[in-house]
Amino acid sequence: MRFELDDDQALLRSSTRELLEKEAALADTRAVMEEVPEGFDKNMYAQLGELGYMNVLLSEEDGGLGPIAFAVIMAEMGRVAFPGPFLEWVTAIRALSECPDTSAKEWLAKASQGDTLVSFALAEDVHNADPAESQVAFEGGRVRGTKVFVPFGEHAQALLVSTAQGLALVARPGTGWNSTPLETLDHAQRFVRIEFDDEGTLIAEGEKAASVLDNARRLGALGASAAMFGLMERSIENSVQYTTEREAFGKPIGSFQALQHRAADMLLKSESTRSAAFRAAWAEENGEEDADYLISVAKAWAGPAGRYVGGQSIQLHGGVGYTWEYDPHIYLKRIKTLEQFHGSNRWHIQNALRQSPIL
Amino acid sequence: MDLHFTSEQKAFQLEVQEWIAKNLERPFTEEVKDPKHDADSLVEVRRNWQRKLNDAGYLGQRWPVEWGGRGATEVDEAILLSELARADAPNIPNFLGIPLLGPALIIHGSEEQRRRFIPKMLSADEIWCQGFSEPGAGSDLASLRTKAEPDGDDFRITGQKVWTTFGPWADWIFVLARTDEEDRHGGISFFLVPIDQEGVDMRGLKQVTGEAEFGEVFFDGALAKREHLVGKLGEGWRIAMTLLGFERGSSTLLNPADYERQLRGLASGLRENGEIDRPDVAERLGWLAVQNEVMRGNGLRTLANIDAGMPPGPESSIEKIFWSEFHQTMTDEALDLLGPQGQLKATSSHARPDVDWAYQYLWSRAGTIYSGSSEIQRNIIAKRVLRMPTAK
Repeated sequence: MRFELDDDQALLRSSTRELLEKEAALADTRAVMEEVPEGFDKNMYAQLGELGYMNVLLSEEDGGLGPIAFAVIMAEMGRVAFPGPFLEWVTAIRALSECPDTSAKEWLAKASQGDTLVSFALAEDVHNADPAESQVAFEGGRVRGTKVFVPFGEHAQALLVSTAQGLALVARPGTGWNSTPLETLDHAQRFVRIEFDDEGTLIAEGEKAASVLDNARRLGALGASAAMFGLMERSIENSVQYTTEREAFGKPIGSFQALQHRAADMLLKSESTRSAAFRAAWAEENGEEDADYLISVAKAWAGPAGRYVGGQSIQLHGGVGYTWEYDPHIYLKRIKTLEQFHGSNRWHIQNALRQSPIL
Repeated sequence: MDLHFTSEQKAFQLEVQEWIAKNLERPFTEEVKDPKHDADSLVEVRRNWQRKLNDAGYLGQRWPVEWGGRGATEVDEAILLSELARADAPNIPNFLGIPLLGPALIIHGSEEQRRRFIPKMLSADEIWCQGFSEPGAGSDLASLRTKAEPDGDDFRITGQKVWTTFGPWADWIFVLARTDEEDRHGGISFFLVPIDQEGVDMRGLKQVTGEAEFGEVFFDGALAKREHLVGKLGEGWRIAMTLLGFERGSSTLLNPADYERQLRGLASGLRENGEIDRPDVAERLGWLAVQNEVMRGNGLRTLANIDAGMPPGPESSIEKIFWSEFHQTMTDEALDLLGPQGQLKATSSHARPDVDWAYQYLWSRAGTIYSGSSEIQRNIIAKRVLRMPTAK
């Protein structure tokens, strides 16, 4: 048995960390968050495309690296709160690869380059666990209906839209999407509400559509869990560093037991997330029967754990932790976003319980 | 990464499962519920169970062959303990003697000590208890004051030990005693002391559960023979510390297996009282199941890293906090979800058949205190793992 990464996975981790520290440091994240309308650095994504990162979830012969490598990458991206739709993009690429339709293949080739964003439009005003109950319809070659919280949708070149009839691919119309921005507490996000009345292609139907969406949800949840681990790990490092440097009453505040015990609890949550997320990634990689269960366990745990770590990181920074200038808020906000997508905590708890050995 | 058991380990797991199915007459919870039993006869149930395990070669399986070992690894030990927990098998009376004193004798003891003590410890003919904690020395164990003074070739022990689990039924106690007042750690020695002698007064210490499984023991010039000093004078602290690290892998899968069994009992209770389909109840049950599975993930990680020969990471303190605090969370929730039925003692009419919830609930309060309190574990994490500063 061995939990730690194999040599090539460890190498991927160090090279990804180096790349992101150099090209996507937190200062860049801030600049993207505050100044770039798209919410991501197009050059950076093109570079990721060139380096093969966008294909991480494809099969090995198509350049895929496997779920453990995917978790490694997501954790590293979490550490720098990497901005933009990477998780949606790579899961969309995976979804396109599962659809035999020729237009899916065309979009797959483009999206893999890292310069053509394909995202998902799944959520609706009424929460339907079952995509077949969608209020959005595909009829006569057109998609009609409203989707909400479409991540980075305004600047997507195409969207994968769940409809009552199956999974539709809609290319960005010449006039742009009929979209309204939805501004959440996470200033790095770019969600929109889109009213569709656009031409599209049904790329998967029935059970096929369900399985494509299920895979996207499962892999998205795995990626989100690993990303939350990275966000937590870095939040803790930052908090420990701050409390070591900051003095009060003539001592570093990190020497006070109240703060030390808080930090210990943060580490417990974070390291437990690491165990859960990488165990789930390993199960997914090896096609274990309980992979879906373990991913739901990881995601259900990571959200509340991340919320705790992100919140306490602000607390340990004291007053400056509440300022825009200091970084803890960026981490907490990203965790809040990840917690709500790729299946909510409640959904994952239910999904885990359904498959739990206690029943 | 590789979290699979090997085919040998899987075969061992199957072997243990089959052995338990054949040899365990009934779950320990059912023994506890049986009105024919009292505290003493339950100890005999546990003693008999230990004998069966020993006869089958399952005790001390990681030790050298001549002392009962069979070349087993920490993974095998973890598998054995988790299967025993899953089956609600009785805890063996020498559950402290075997994992703590056994390795101490094998590593630091003399050949005569090994020959004299190990076979009877394995067969449960002699029950051992541990004399480490004192009324004034718990988390700060090195401040212990029980002393051993030379008396000819031998030693006389004076002082008090407390929280001596299984003390009231023990024949022997392994004691940390001070042999040098000046040297905090190097002035502690490790003695084996018979309880049935003048100068030893063992009293039961009634716990919040109403039982007296713990004892407190008063030494007033009790005799410890020179040949029962383990290691050299002043080596006691070092011996004790190596012991505490020796078994770090074996319980990794035990708690998740034990709690999984209890959660299964909770689920059946909720099925019977008709509440399991309520969304709020299902969500609370599901959240408990999730936390238990996360705990198992931590355990697998620790075990896998031990198996791969990696040095200990931050896991052991994290695991200790996790299992002990989750036990409280789980039993809090169970007693709330089951309503008053959850508070029935196992021996009461209409108690749940499969889990002794009232006992579990009360017993869970001890886990965050013994074996390094949650506060000590958090200090360890902050100082040794996170390297937070020390106050000047």
